[in-house]
Amino acid sequence: MRYNKIMKLSPRVKIGLIIVLLIALFIIVNLTSFSKEIKNFFYLISSPIQKTLWRAGDNLSDFFEAISEIEKLKKGAEELLLKNQALTAENARLKELKKENEVLREALEIGLEKEFKLLLAEVTGKDIFQDALLINKGSKDGILKDFPVITQQKALIGRCGEVYENFSKVILISNKESSFDAKISDSDIQGLVKGEGNLKIFLDLVPKEKEINEGAIIVTTALGGIFPEGLLVGEIKKVLKSDIQPWQEAEIKPAFDVKEMETLFIITDY
Amino acid sequence: MKKILILIPFLYILTLSQTSFLIHFNVFLKGGFWGWALNLILIAVILITVLEKPEKNSGIFLGVCGGFFLDIFSENFIGFHILIFLGLSLFIKFILRKYVR
Repeated sequence: MRYNKIMKLSPRVKIGLIIVLLIALFIIVNLTSFSKEIKNFFYLISSPIQKTLWRAGDNLSDFFEAISEIEKLKKGAEELLLKNQALTAENARLKELKKENEVLREALEIGLEKEFKLLLAEVTGKDIFQDALLINKGSKDGILKDFPVITQQKALIGRCGEVYENFSKVILISNKESSFDAKISDSDIQGLVKGEGNLKIFLDLVPKEKEINEGAIIVTTALGGIFPEGLLVGEIKKVLKSDIQPWQEAEIKPAFDVKEMETLFIITDY
Repeated sequence: MKKILILIPFLYILTLSQTSFLIHFNVFLKGGFWGWALNLILIAVILITVLEKPEKNSGIFLGVCGGFFLDIFSENFIGFHILIFLGLSLFIKFILRKYVR
């Protein structure tokens, strides 16, 4: 009887009734743990397919993403390359400044600036076979011919030869054209330091009766007026005595290493 | 009935594809129109409802099924998509029955 009554209801009422019943069902399902059980059941039976689909989707989307990102990556790589180049250049410049700073600091510690008026120069070329160097300071910077050139450790390198507008040639003390007066430190033994070429220096014209010890330090004297007094020349390496000659000679080991030389000082006034 | 039995597994597979496979492309297309609109169940329910004969009700039933599957695999409570799809398929049926044919 009741069933017949329901069947006689209009379709709109039927639909409304179904919707109300459904809502009531959903409320009951969601308020109880039943919804969790339903979801868990479906997750359980679907997980193998889901895993496969997830992996496939992941790979495929990565592939498409990579294609779309190529242009962006290319642009990014170019930008990074440019940035890298700029940083490398800046790094190199900072390294140079650091080196220059260290040299100046060392010179300050020795107190070179109190004794002489100095000008820092960088070596731009080396001609070891001719015992000469090229430095980046010239007449524009106030350099004149015969200005003494030293290291930050106060070791004599040579003197300015040819002076150009922006560059100067430094004639090393080992150059064949170079000769000047020097003495053995803490003694009255004097002699003439001569360059023999190929970075070799000799102490000549030392009277035979004077005793020269190997390892003795040679410094410049004010005699001759080419170099200021007390600059380090080197140390005695080997004493050469000959019965025929009235003088004795000694080979000097220079106080500088031309291969390692990058910065040096020019004495502009002393 | 046969059509419903075939289309229920189809909707199930479609839901799994939607939630496990196409979700990657939704993320990929994030912010775009397709990233939001690529809801295959919704498209399938609309197509089934529109393309079947107006007097038949399998579109409504499949809308409920599709909504149920989406509810299972989404974070919403059970009934959220069911009610939306049911309402949508009923509305399409109403339009088709009253104004189109």
